[in-house]
Amino acid sequence: MTAEQEKLLLDLINDPPPGSDLAKAKEFGVDLTLFHSTLRCTPTERAQALSQAAELFEVSKRPNHDKQ
Amino acid sequence: MKLEETIRALYDAGVEFVLIGGAAMGIQGSAYLTRDIDICYGRTPSNIDRLAKALQPLSPSLRNAPASLPFKLDAATITAGLNFTLATTLGDLDLLAEVSGLGTFREVLAASEKREIGGVPCQVLSLEGLIKAKTAAGRPRDLYVLPELRALVEAKKKIGLQ
Repeated sequence: MTAEQEKLLLDLINDPPPGSDLAKAKEFGVDLTLFHSTLRCTPTERAQALSQAAELFEVSKRPNHDKQ
Repeated sequence: MKLEETIRALYDAGVEFVLIGGAAMGIQGSAYLTRDIDICYGRTPSNIDRLAKALQPLSPSLRNAPASLPFKLDAATITAGLNFTLATTLGDLDLLAEVSGLGTFREVLAASEKREIGGVPCQVLSLEGLIKAKTAAGRPRDLYVLPELRALVEAKKKIGLQ
């Protein structure tokens, strides 16, 4: 993402055009600010984030994980 | 789940597949988190054979099935079925022959985009394809993600991001 694209995205996130899908999503409860971090990442970085989140979940499910 | 490694294993074996579901959402920029990997795979005999060979080293077993239940994931097993929910050494992996709202592998492939993940090309279901699939699936958990997916389509279009 270029600096110009990032600025455009931040404008959209902070002030979504009325009636737009962005505005509807915000109204629905979607945290649009997360787009800023996800869209800056490469597909590989997004894949790594997904794997890390899944791993974290698995660790949290293990018995006595809080003792480790 | 180990997404990069799973994609690499399938790629190295030459499997024709499209990444779908929650992992595809994540790759396309959604903040949605998932614990399994869903793929739609081609049903040609040669592709089924490659898929079986790719998965055999990953010790696939049926998820939520008794350990005593005999199961061997080979080409014959895949040919005899359509969809499989597997546990593997790289995490949970679902194999789907069709996707609701889209169709079989060819239609899903046509609705996908090539992304580079971990240094290898991978076909990933597009946001538009995900919206079609989630809308057709129609379960509350599918409909719940539609506002975010539609907003992502709009945001990427407005800023000119692929």
